[in-house]
Amino acid sequence: MSKYEIGIVDTRNVLQAIKETHGLDFKNHALTFFKRRLSYIVDKYNLKNAEALIDKLIHEPDFYELFLKEISIETTELFRDPSLWRHLMEKFLPGLLKNQTSFKIWFPEIASGEELYSLAILLNELGFLDKVQFVVGSISQLRLDDLKKGRFDLKKMEVNQANFKRIFSEAELEDYYRREGDQGYINRELLQNIELARQNTLYDQPPRSVKMIMWRNQMLYFNHILQERLLKSFCHCMMPGGHLIVGMNEKIDYWNSDKDYTLVGDNENIYKKRYS
Amino acid sequence: MHKAVIIGGSAGSFRVITRILNALPKHYPVPVLLNLHRLKHVRSGFVEALSIKSGIPVVEPYDKDSVKPGIAYLAPSNYHMYIELNKKIALSTEEAVNHSRPSIDLSFETAAHTYNKSLLGIILSGANKDGAWGLKKIKDAGGTVIVQDPKECEVATMTETALKMTEADYIYSTQQIIDYLLKIK
Repeated sequence: MSKYEIGIVDTRNVLQAIKETHGLDFKNHALTFFKRRLSYIVDKYNLKNAEALIDKLIHEPDFYELFLKEISIETTELFRDPSLWRHLMEKFLPGLLKNQTSFKIWFPEIASGEELYSLAILLNELGFLDKVQFVVGSISQLRLDDLKKGRFDLKKMEVNQANFKRIFSEAELEDYYRREGDQGYINRELLQNIELARQNTLYDQPPRSVKMIMWRNQMLYFNHILQERLLKSFCHCMMPGGHLIVGMNEKIDYWNSDKDYTLVGDNENIYKKRYS
Repeated sequence: MHKAVIIGGSAGSFRVITRILNALPKHYPVPVLLNLHRLKHVRSGFVEALSIKSGIPVVEPYDKDSVKPGIAYLAPSNYHMYIELNKKIALSTEEAVNHSRPSIDLSFETAAHTYNKSLLGIILSGANKDGAWGLKKIKDAGGTVIVQDPKECEVATMTETALKMTEADYIYSTQQIIDYLLKIK
């Protein structure tokens, strides 16, 4: 719904400028998404046109960081899709973690902290938090900075609360964060065992010995080429039998993907790396 | 001449959309795209409720699914649904627009861009203004637009706003909308 509409040629020029100046390659992001997002950014920052955007991206490092934040789309709320979290809480995670001594979980692109905070709260409720090591990445340093502070937006508290109540009958969400102005800060104890890592658009420095990857609603913004490339690389960095969780309306679907991943459970989009 | 139908609705549209889907024959010749506001935490029950009486299959699409004739695609809860130029569906979790996600405006706008004059856009009963801007986009692209008669709507805000912004081709009752849809070959 942007007032200014960026064209295909403009989009290619922006891609080129970012690649040349900053070495980051967005060519395999979904083109229409990227184009739409550029229009949104031009609007939001009151830029005249694509040339003005390119100029700022080249010459203003601070703006470039803001740009990276805008282009990595938030996952939006605590415990988004409560049915999935309830499944993780009641069935999936207890079985998976019971006999483990250490368990590494990777969030390749965090975009917003809510996914991580949700999982940390859930693991804490289950009593497994001490076993878990989080590795968290993003293409955006600003997003990682927010995460380090445990920050999140309080505007969505009503939804956050409703989601929380659908999963936990005893616990109180209020016990897990404090308020400062219009921002919330998640309790520090939840984020003790966490390693932050800046990523590029290929996410090509995955951690080792990963047992679970949370990657919900990120494939949406990539084309098939990048999806396949990333899914294969994720499969490679996971321990055999490791799990990948994707968004409710995403699926793993590339040639021979069933040799890498198999769906577990009914429809909750939890995939398991095949032994082989 | 219509190659796709897109329908937006909010409060008071459930019964209308159920009647419409019920009237459509199996093997309906065009795809039907649905963007209906609903409660965020109602994730799966809705598509089943719509399916029960529908003449055509109702699905919540996966990201990048192709749009095919004879199928109704319901925008999944908590995602925007775009109709891309290659006639595939793109989902996104970008910011709500006018407090709405899915945003009817965004679905309408992208479908208008993809189908131009061969798109039929319909707006039904609803309590907010989402969809009015998108309906204008359909009209501007040469498509045909139908507005449910505000007199018949349970909540008329959506249709009245749409009529203020766009000159509708038809202002129809539910039955007239059905009759029109059944003429599409």
